[in-house]
Amino acid sequence: MKIKQLILHVFIIQCLALIVTGCNIPQNQTSKDYMVLLKATNPTPRTVASDSKGEELITDIEKNIEAHKDLYDVAVIKGKKHILVVYKVKHLQRFHMKKIEKEVNEKLEKEYPDENFIVSSDYKIFLEAVRLEEKMKDTNFSEEKADQEFERIIKLKKELT
Amino acid sequence: MLVGKQSWIFQQHPVIAATGVSGGPFEANGHLAEDFDILHDDLWMGQDSYEKAQRVLIEEAIQTVMQKGNIQKEDVQFLIAGDLINQITPTSFAARTAQIPYFGLFGACSTSMEGLALASFMVNYKGAKNVLTGASSHNAATEKQFRYPTEYGGQKPPTAQWTATGAGVALVTDKKNGENLPYTTSATIGKVIDMGLTDPFNMGGAMAPAAADTITAHLKDLQLEPSHYDLIVTGDLARVGRETVLDLLETNGLKMDPNRFLDCGLMLYKEDQPVQAGGSGAGCSAIVLYGHLLNQMKKGIYKRILLVATGALLSPLSFQQGESIPCIAHAVSIEI
Amino acid sequence: MGNKKQKKTPEQQQYEQLQQKHETKRPIFKNCLKAFFVGGFICTIGQAISYFYIYFFNFTEQTAGNPTVATMIFLAMLMTGFGFYDRIGQFAGAGSAVPITGFGNAVISAAIEHRTEGFVLGVGGNMFKLAGSVILFGVFAAFVVALIKTLLIMWGVI
Repeated sequence: MKIKQLILHVFIIQCLALIVTGCNIPQNQTSKDYMVLLKATNPTPRTVASDSKGEELITDIEKNIEAHKDLYDVAVIKGKKHILVVYKVKHLQRFHMKKIEKEVNEKLEKEYPDENFIVSSDYKIFLEAVRLEEKMKDTNFSEEKADQEFERIIKLKKELT
Repeated sequence: MLVGKQSWIFQQHPVIAATGVSGGPFEANGHLAEDFDILHDDLWMGQDSYEKAQRVLIEEAIQTVMQKGNIQKEDVQFLIAGDLINQITPTSFAARTAQIPYFGLFGACSTSMEGLALASFMVNYKGAKNVLTGASSHNAATEKQFRYPTEYGGQKPPTAQWTATGAGVALVTDKKNGENLPYTTSATIGKVIDMGLTDPFNMGGAMAPAAADTITAHLKDLQLEPSHYDLIVTGDLARVGRETVLDLLETNGLKMDPNRFLDCGLMLYKEDQPVQAGGSGAGCSAIVLYGHLLNQMKKGIYKRILLVATGALLSPLSFQQGESIPCIAHAVSIEI
Repeated sequence: MGNKKQKKTPEQQQYEQLQQKHETKRPIFKNCLKAFFVGGFICTIGQAISYFYIYFFNFTEQTAGNPTVATMIFLAMLMTGFGFYDRIGQFAGAGSAVPITGFGNAVISAAIEHRTEGFVLGVGGNMFKLAGSVILFGVFAAFVVALIKTLLIMWGVI
């Protein structure tokens, strides 16, 4: 009994310690990906290839999608062949995920019929998109690498259990 | 001698010369820890299964009683005992070690008094000079058989009871009572009473009618008033069953003094132990009677007691098949 | 299963009434609250583990379910093995029995218990004593629901 009590107490203290260190928000962290899962971070849309016409297009897309009443955060990244549009759905509207996905798809098809879109509501894809966007801020990050990352994200999106 | 409908009187006063009581960790932390001869601090007792641990409990109790009674196993004619496990294997295996001619008994939690009644009868009528009788139970082994695995997180209701871990064995002998030892004076054998209750988590409520029936029969057969006894103790009715039986007896015209009507299941454990309604098990009545109560009698606190051990005669299968719980109670009176 | 409601004689019914008076009633409301909060807490831990896998590893929301469930069951195994899952169960009731950890506890406790009878007949034969019905009826229910859904789609209702 005594040793079980001891193990139990150590276990609880360790859990508490982990939780406390985990909740500690470091002030000097520049990367925004920390809070991505928890609240809206509003990342700026990016293109993988430098393409001034593309910039306008994706800013436009972002504004368009953000206007949707059930979404609260959008990330747009334009690659060579596809445009990745990831959004976060408001918590109570998560029951209508499928419907929202259909609406977003339809809207994008209607307004930008020439582009290929990949649409996702997944938190992981959003997180990866934000991470990619952070990396692209760094001018040393080559286009090839950005493109590779982009393709990896698309592949991740297509994964099923 | 047969008196009334279902009772015996033991005119030769068979003496309970010695007792051996072993217990487990919960009992060691309970109210009556000082009255145990051997206590263990875990449920395994150095064995690799709970059933084997229960056998060890019985063997230790038998060894202790023979030591205290200053007797060799060659001088003991019979061993009459039982427990709750399927085919009463722990007791049978302990009997194998003891090498004493053996009667295996099953009365669920009323086994202890069933054994004491039969042992007293045998000694009284010169069927034996020395008889060992007892009962035992083991919490984990019983839970495994009747309910759920011990680590299962199922919630027990407040009417549930905690099976005691322990073995109590007594030596009943025909030697004349030179040293002021307790002796049995009468016994009443109960019949099976079933009031249609089906909840296996509420044994107290199911067993109360059997206890009431046997107490009523005992007092009628021997033509006694409840006040004849300093103490009437039930085996394992616990809180719910004890209140019910007091109410039931009063409804039938027998008013008991609640201060002189106790229950082994309630006496065994402290308030802060998580035993819900109280203790139960074949060992419960044995360890409390053969340990604490007989010690109290030797100290002069009680002169005449009636012990009514109650048992619920169900099995896990009968419950699943939709049967209700039939119960039985046996009473033995002890004086000093 | 025999008939559960066997006819009771008047004497039995009378006794049942008398007994009900003394039977300690379960504190249902308190139990519900406790179950709610403990169950919610377990689910919060599960969500935190899910986020942990999404953040640090390459799992999407779709695929993070697998490692999350595995981790929760691992934690249930530790708690069952150390002997305090049954205390939590006594306190929380359904709150700890319903989440996946409860299922894990049912299987693991049965496996631990029957180790004494050997691995094949003891552990193997008795491991699903409690969880067997969950698996059987869960699979059967899933089959029935899928069948209904297929039929409804075929007839154009959905």
